[in-house]
Amino acid sequence: MTDLVMPKFGLTMTEGLLTEWHVAPGAAFHAGDVLFTVETEKVANDVEAEADGVLAKIFVPEGETVPVGSPVARLAQAGKDAGRAGEETQSTRPAPASDTEDAPSARKLMAEHDLAREQVTPTGRNGRVTKGDVLRVIATPLARSIATKQGLDLHAVEGTGPMGRIKARDVEAAAKLSTRPLPAPTPAPEPAPAREIVPDAARLATARRVSAAKRDIPHFYVSHEAELSALTGLRGQLNADPDAPRVSVTHMLIRALGVALTEHPAMNRIWAGDQIVAFSQANIGMVTQTPDGLRIPVIRDAGGTALDDIATQARDLATRARSGELGASDVGDGVISISNVGMMGVTSLTPIINPPNAMILGVGAERQLFRPDENGAPALRREMTLTLACDHRIIDGADAARFLAELVALLETPLRLLRPARGTADPNAGD
Amino acid sequence: MAEIRYIKAVNQALADAMEADPTVFLIGEDIGAAGGSFKATRDLLEKFGPERVYDSPISEAAITGMAVGAALTGMRPVVEIMFMDFTTLSMDMLVNQAAKARSMFGGQGSVPMVLRTPHGGGLNAGPQHSQCLEAWFAHVPGLRVVCPSNPADAYGLLRAAIDDPDPVIVVENKALYAMKGDLPDDREPIEIGKGRIVRPGRDATVVSYGAAVAMAETAAETMAEEGIEVEVIDLRSIQPWDEDLVLESLTRTHNLVVAHEAVEAFGVGAEIVARMADIGFDQLDGPILRVGAPFAPSPFGKTLEDAYRPDASRIVAALRRTLA
Repeated sequence: MTDLVMPKFGLTMTEGLLTEWHVAPGAAFHAGDVLFTVETEKVANDVEAEADGVLAKIFVPEGETVPVGSPVARLAQAGKDAGRAGEETQSTRPAPASDTEDAPSARKLMAEHDLAREQVTPTGRNGRVTKGDVLRVIATPLARSIATKQGLDLHAVEGTGPMGRIKARDVEAAAKLSTRPLPAPTPAPEPAPAREIVPDAARLATARRVSAAKRDIPHFYVSHEAELSALTGLRGQLNADPDAPRVSVTHMLIRALGVALTEHPAMNRIWAGDQIVAFSQANIGMVTQTPDGLRIPVIRDAGGTALDDIATQARDLATRARSGELGASDVGDGVISISNVGMMGVTSLTPIINPPNAMILGVGAERQLFRPDENGAPALRREMTLTLACDHRIIDGADAARFLAELVALLETPLRLLRPARGTADPNAGD
Repeated sequence: MAEIRYIKAVNQALADAMEADPTVFLIGEDIGAAGGSFKATRDLLEKFGPERVYDSPISEAAITGMAVGAALTGMRPVVEIMFMDFTTLSMDMLVNQAAKARSMFGGQGSVPMVLRTPHGGGLNAGPQHSQCLEAWFAHVPGLRVVCPSNPADAYGLLRAAIDDPDPVIVVENKALYAMKGDLPDDREPIEIGKGRIVRPGRDATVVSYGAAVAMAETAAETMAEEGIEVEVIDLRSIQPWDEDLVLESLTRTHNLVVAHEAVEAFGVGAEIVARMADIGFDQLDGPILRVGAPFAPSPFGKTLEDAYRPDASRIVAALRRTLA
């Protein structure tokens, strides 16, 4: 008997959403069979069996997110433990997967208090939520007595004390909110009833991910206009060659970011918990809209890869992202992603960083406009707005500004995109 | 109003009490001709004669036993035990005789004696001359324990102790003997069992006594710079202690730290914390914390003793924790 655990697919992966079981409890499988699917880093990973066996018992039902390394199921080896596994399956009669193994009283309480399962810290065996876990509110005695007097439910109060302890000030703040007078109800014409739609796993994963990113990462933003006449000219010349891959502005941006990051290795770092991870290559994520939601495939070593190869790889990754064929090696370990919404005509995009990235570049549409030249006469220019969102835990404003200015300089003198990045030969370029 | 040192206030209280009541007499080692190891009894031999200022042999058990007997027969003896560490030898007389007499004789006898003794460190006097053992006495029904934090209280509490019909242990802090303070001209006894708010505050209460009062005031000063108003209470009396005052303060501030120089474990602070966790439970908005010495004998060397003795920074740290 061995336990199957939530695997770790990337350097910074801490938890995974188990979206689907492909093998039923009690069923046998062979080496190479897909056992279950994990959604993480905006990609679905299939986990295959390493050897023949029998799935004795499932601990984590579909739709649940568990930390890396948590047991998700118990395996029995084929032939050896199969009989026992069968017995166990029969005798323990696992609950249907939709009904987690949480205590029924706990489920009832959570429903009554309108609590999501993630808001409760489970203490039961195998991550089971017990009744006590739901009832247990950490609050000071004074906070409790104020809440009782005011008729406030402490489950609805967010604690700001150590370990989330609810203090008197938290109850007082919550009481103030709840006693704020409601706006007078206006008689509305009979509205069409709102529909409740259960979000799919991909939407849920995205929602959780962006909420956490915007909540946990202290974002700040710098913007810069890039003058694109030279870039447009170079792109035209490159694309005039029918035998070379077609190069898009996004590809040139990826190459420019690759060069800039290679030349500024201090920017090629991410904040991972309480440590800093410094990458040796410039890996650039490419935010891609797919029928299943956003995917972010990564171009590896964009600083050491020629523009043509970047164009080929980016096109291949985008195609596979749209058809849901990205593999674990196609995502993760990037310091920055690009989100280009220029094709929709919007002027600029202020994006949310994709964890564990430290930056994301929002790209607006190319547009023509007049700028005054040295003599004050109108001069026609092609520009686009670049907005760099940065994680202030690891990047300071001046560094971000310098980096973005350097990126713009590369785009405005685009022949540099065809040369190797500078300083790449220096092995000590890390600091 | 005259400025006076703590040790002189003790001396003044003894002189005034002897003046006022001919049954008051002093007994202890080197208290007569030598005027006491810390000079608490200086000049009293000359003033009141050898029958009222009695130099005893080096036997704490005998000194205390004699005092119990004298008190039972109508005298008001004031014993000096040179260091609180040596009260171990007085224990049987205090615990089994002095503390029990009133109860065992059906209220027909009492032991109106006082035992003065200095506790506390800071003088590099080593593990056998620095201990704060007041919790031992506070644990014995029938004994009262006071611990003045300043010259005026040293005077007022000693006068009250001598007037008291039951045995009172007056714990003086030897590091405070040189402390200067005002002694009011109309010198009155201070009621045993009543504490005092030394500094009013809104956000947290520090309960202290003896040398820890000044530490608590310094800590309150530090916190005030950050806009946190700390109330400091001087208990003055440890047994009985002013439960009403502490509860009233906690009801306003909702956060409590108890600070003393004695070892933290099983100490006076533990009693106050336990009581407040009971009767003050619904007032608490944070854990009640104690600041005291670590569970170890007092070290001899200066650097180690400095690390061992509680100070204002440890009270500040405790305040920050309870207010977090």
